[in-house]
Amino acid sequence: MTASTDYTAQEIIVVAGAKVLEDNKIVFVGTGLPMVASLLAKRTHAPGLIPVFEAGAVGPPLDHGLPVSVGCSRTFTGASYVKGLNAAFELTQRGFADFGFIGGAEVDMYGNLNSTMMGDYPAGYQKPKVRLPGSGGASDMAASCERTILIVPHDKKKFNEKLSYITSPGHLDGTPGARQKAGMQGKGPYRLITTKGIFDFEEKTKRMRLIQTFPGETVQSIQDATGFELLVAPNVTEFAPPTVEEIRLIREVVDPDGIFVKRAAK
Amino acid sequence: METNAKMFWTGLSPDDAREALVNKDKSMRDKRMTLKEAVSKFVKNGDNVGIAGFVNVRQPVATCHEMVRQGFKDLTLSFQSAGLGPELLAGAMILNPNKFSIKRVELAYWGHEAFGLSPAWRYLAERGMIEIEDWSNYNMSARFKAGAMGLPFIPTRSPLGGDIKNCSRTKIINCPFTERPIGLLPASNPNVAIVHVQAADKFGNCIIRGTDCTCAEIAMASAHTIVTCEQLVSHELVTSNPKDIMIPFAAVDAVVEVPYGAYPGACRRHYWFDGDHTRKFLACIAPMCKGGAPDALQAYYDEYIYGVENFGEFLQKIGVNQLLAVKAAEAHHCERLA
Repeated sequence: MTASTDYTAQEIIVVAGAKVLEDNKIVFVGTGLPMVASLLAKRTHAPGLIPVFEAGAVGPPLDHGLPVSVGCSRTFTGASYVKGLNAAFELTQRGFADFGFIGGAEVDMYGNLNSTMMGDYPAGYQKPKVRLPGSGGASDMAASCERTILIVPHDKKKFNEKLSYITSPGHLDGTPGARQKAGMQGKGPYRLITTKGIFDFEEKTKRMRLIQTFPGETVQSIQDATGFELLVAPNVTEFAPPTVEEIRLIREVVDPDGIFVKRAAK
Repeated sequence: METNAKMFWTGLSPDDAREALVNKDKSMRDKRMTLKEAVSKFVKNGDNVGIAGFVNVRQPVATCHEMVRQGFKDLTLSFQSAGLGPELLAGAMILNPNKFSIKRVELAYWGHEAFGLSPAWRYLAERGMIEIEDWSNYNMSARFKAGAMGLPFIPTRSPLGGDIKNCSRTKIINCPFTERPIGLLPASNPNVAIVHVQAADKFGNCIIRGTDCTCAEIAMASAHTIVTCEQLVSHELVTSNPKDIMIPFAAVDAVVEVPYGAYPGACRRHYWFDGDHTRKFLACIAPMCKGGAPDALQAYYDEYIYGVENFGEFLQKIGVNQLLAVKAAEAHHCERLA
């Protein structure tokens, strides 16, 4: 298993995201890198992974390529069940989704995500500094999937003590039973994958905790790029660099057209 | 009970929605007409318009073109996730708010997934030009479902926890049965639904392939529904498998055959996304977010919307090579014998 030497930040996110997924589980897949990671997992260690897309497709083989949308025709061919949005989210609310796989523009130490707006909330809600697309299905997955996997590119401006707006609730303020008390279901954020490492959420405090560093990063370099104090697991390990074969799969099989994984400039 | 935003109905109240349907002619009659007639008959200034489809799948693009040509004021747009539909309407507002204007959006997501963010959404929101009410995909879908069920609200879990419950008309109660908190969402009953489907008969019975999106719920909840379809087929063919009918005739007011009516978005079995055209359109708006001139956007509308009489003329400008290319791409994902 030769290590790749020319992988990109997005590619290591995809490899790490794929490895978090478990074979034979149902994963509710959000748009973008979660789709790439889920397809890579299906082509490697998790052929029995069952992706669900919010527009309504359940369990497609994805033999015709990476979907460009969670409503893409590629999610429907060969699917085991196809309805619409209500049916898909009802599956989640009922408890059919083992994992939800979502991204966001901003994250806090409890795994709450923002994909709605940057600026002053609530005063500036009707005239935000930067308007983001909005929840889509992310807040639904956050509230009802059993465990969620989050992807956020690592950047001090995106890892904040206080979010502009909480779109997709994670562990809320970290108090025990906060999610249940608020009326939500599921255990909340399980893993966070960034461009610098992999995190879990510590059992008692529900705070973001570094468990693996990506090659070239240290505990200190990651803390320096984070706008709040990180917890650090007692035995932080280095995540092995993606193999040549994993990178080949991403570039040639999973996302050959560079739909979501941008090609490095030559 | 916890409640944050002041309660009011946009579109029809549940009682008014019921009354509208009671007074409607629900006969099985020929509803074919031109898109021009359909839009002028069923869309009015101030309406709440329910936009069907999902992101850029089966967006009612042809109907939005026609709405732009006719011009409407103070619309409320309601949708879960949409791209091209609101983008086209918002572009018209950016060019000339006296001819076309959106007053309010109730939505989960406005963007184009792999094809980019929505510059029109940023432009209007960051300048405070429209009222915003954020929901999620399930919230909006469930609100249409409540409207379609003839109920004033629906309980769901997903506005709980985050800020959506704080900036929307969500109410939170303790469930009378479990005593745990639960979110109650007000029904959405738009004045008019705009829907694009694969096939319909002249009475409005609709067949949908691939994702159902929230099309049936939106059509059933709305006072009026304009359907555009790829194929207008016989009543006999549509009813050969009655369970295939996703939207029943009684919920439909106008049926218009518009092949490629969701282009440059996708329509399962017929054509896939034209990402290049979508990006080209978005690139006309993007510089305006930073104060750029409207020239490129004006040129796009002049060429493709104001400069043509109907969607057929727009497609002529796109050209047969491009239309065959998106058709061939879809045939690859969705192989069928002739």
